[in-house]
Amino acid sequence: MHNGIHTDKQVETLAIAASGDEIRRACEWLATALRQRAVPDPQVQRLELALHEALANVLAHGGSAARAEPIRIRIEVREQATTGEAHVDVTDAGIPFDPTGTPEHTPAKTLAEAQPGGLGLPLIRRCSDWMRYRREGGRNHFVFGARWAKL
Amino acid sequence: MSISHTDIGDNLRKIVILGRLDIPGTESVADQLEKLAAAPKKGVVVDLSSLKFLASIGIRALFQSAKAVKERGGRMVLVVGNNSSVVMSLEATGINSLIPMFKSDAEAERAAVA
Repeated sequence: MHNGIHTDKQVETLAIAASGDEIRRACEWLATALRQRAVPDPQVQRLELALHEALANVLAHGGSAARAEPIRIRIEVREQATTGEAHVDVTDAGIPFDPTGTPEHTPAKTLAEAQPGGLGLPLIRRCSDWMRYRREGGRNHFVFGARWAKL
Repeated sequence: MSISHTDIGDNLRKIVILGRLDIPGTESVADQLEKLAAAPKKGVVVDLSSLKFLASIGIRALFQSAKAVKERGGRMVLVVGNNSSVVMSLEATGINSLIPMFKSDAEAERAAVA
C-alpha cells in the first residue's frame, strides 16, 4: 500500500478524498493503471472520462457524508481469448444515488434553448459499455466498464 | 493549464487552451475564457487541438462562452485537429451540434466570421 494505492496483477485500488484535485489524481491513476495492463487507448480514454464524471457527481451531490469518508475506486482487467474487459467500481458514503436510474438526456436543438449542466450522466452512459448500481453497507456502489476485441 | 489568445484582424479572436479541462483545470481558466470570449469580435475560435482532457465542467464553460458570443451577435467555433479524446467528449454530449467544430484552423476561422 502506497499513497492510497494497492496493486495486484489485474486489480488495483485507490482511495481518495472528495475534491477536484483528488479527482484529477484518480483519473490519472486510472489511465496509467489501465495502460500498464495493455487496455487499448480508446477504452482508457472512455473510462477516464466516465470516472471523472462519476466522481464529480459524488462531489456535487453526495453531501457531507460523501466528503467525510474516502471514495474508493477499484479497477479490474479481465482477459479472455478474444476479448478484454476493464471494470471500474466506485464506492462512496454519500447520499444514495443511482446513476443508472436517471432518464436519458435529450440534447437541445439550438444554443439559445440549451441549458448548461446535466452533461455528466450522458457522458458516463456514452463512455461505458455497461453500468450497474447497488446500495450496500451504507455506501453507493457504482460499477461501469468497457470491453474490446483482441486482435 | 494555460489559456492564451491572438487577435487576427478586427473581426476574429483565437483562444488556445492547453492542459486538462477537468474540475481544477476549468476552475483555473473559466473566468479568463469568459472575458476573452466577451471581446467585441465577430468570430471567436477556441483551439482545443492540444487539450489533454475535456470533462463536462469544461464543456459547460465552453457552452456558456459560445452562448454569450451568440447573444452579442457573434459566432464561436472550435478547432479540434485530430484530438480523438476531445472529439469523443463533444460528440458524447451532443455539444458539437450546438458549437461547430472543425479539424483545421483555416476552416474554423472562415466559419467563425462567415
